Amino acid sequence: MSLPLPALLHAVATALGAEVAPALQLLGQPEAPDANYAGGTAATAALILGIAAAEAANAPAREAAAAAAAQPLVGDAAAGRDARCAALGALLLAGDRRALPLLVGQAQAEYAALGLPPPVPVA
Amino acid sequence: MPAEHLARFLSAQWGEAVTIAGLKRFHGGSARQTYRFDAIGTSGRREALVLRRDPPSSLIETERLAEYRAIQCFAGSAVPVPEPLFCDQGPESFGSPGFLMREVAGGLAGGLLDPEAYGTHAATVGSQFFTALGRIHAADPAAAGVPAMALADAAPARLAHWRDAFAADQFRPEPVLEDAMAWLAANLPPPPERISIVHGDYRSGNFLHDGNGRLLAILDWEMVHPGDAHEDLAWACDPLWSHFSGLAGGMLPLADAIARWEAASGLTLNPQSWRWWRVFAQVQGLVIWISAAREVIDGRSHDPVLMFAGTIPYRFHTLTLAQTLETL
Repeated sequence: MSLPLPALLHAVATALGAEVAPALQLLGQPEAPDANYAGGTAATAALILGIAAAEAANAPAREAAAAAAAQPLVGDAAAGRDARCAALGALLLAGDRRALPLLVGQAQAEYAALGLPPPVPVA
Repeated sequence: MPAEHLARFLSAQWGEAVTIAGLKRFHGGSARQTYRFDAIGTSGRREALVLRRDPPSSLIETERLAEYRAIQCFAGSAVPVPEPLFCDQGPESFGSPGFLMREVAGGLAGGLLDPEAYGTHAATVGSQFFTALGRIHAADPAAAGVPAMALADAAPARLAHWRDAFAADQFRPEPVLEDAMAWLAANLPPPPERISIVHGDYRSGNFLHDGNGRLLAILDWEMVHPGDAHEDLAWACDPLWSHFSGLAGGMLPLADAIARWEAASGLTLNPQSWRWWRVFAQVQGLVIWISAAREVIDGRSHDPVLMFAGTIPYRFHTLTLAQTLETL
């Protein structure tokens, strides 16, 4: 994912501790300015936690499939997302378009993991 | 906490003691802190107001002023905006640079993941939305205080802007984005007919409507700049803002949206420019989402809105941009 999972989880934990936990102490004080903000923070943090949990469960299999698909084109660089993307990107910039379907496939798999409807063209 | 600043500032403005009630910070809009509140004078005067201010550590005073000037430019015009009241580029009035607007009562905003953001009023709101965009592009940029720009600079300047932002915030290989940037650089569009006021973030979610088919206010002018009007139109029509509907902004068929914009702007869609700016819109989006993620990774923010941006829109635009590259 764009945000590495450890960084994401650390940030969620910080948000819950810094914004939401203090707001819980303001329960019964509806005039507290930041209670409203903390409520929104808690709701979005819950959504992020759901994504993070799914990512932890599904990312290894998705990554293995992407590596296997890219191995014939980039060899050992296929193992590991950053190395694979760097190798595929170098091919693209050199004019080798065989890398593009692999990147499309990777992007499709990563988006599908979110459980959202697919993008619909506006045409 | 800006309450004491607000009470002190408004007491001086109104010439009577003012108390602040109902102060609430909005969730979202991470670049700015946004509060609504009621100001109540000892005479009984009562006004519902909104404060947008920089986070205390921010040093982007010039952007604050640009946003305020743009709102001032359209206040009272056929482009609905909140009524601007006062801007302070320093920290004296509000604790950090910011400005006051009158609250737009009853305003609703569409959520990104809401499949029915505008319900049965989608076409009615969409017609007003794209007409307002055309009116913005018909306005004189000097009236909004945006700097002058040579026609030939419109596309290269924006590409350079986002290329620099990507260079500053990249934290891992982004082959799709880099390939798209290379295509944009090699296929620059023709200069626009004229330089327009470009809102910079004109899209579903950045305006208020009344829930009954009336557009109330265009918001979030903080990215306003001079440029090619196709830039705003392409961003507004990007699939990310379509609520998974295939409609422009989740409101109108694309041809209808373009027709409304052309009629109000006096401009004609250039197919070559349109193709380029639609790719650009996805590139711009992707850089914004990467920058949001970088804020979180570096520990400068723990706002879940930035985590959301660095995950869901990031993956959306990575996918659509990769698919677009297959068609170029």
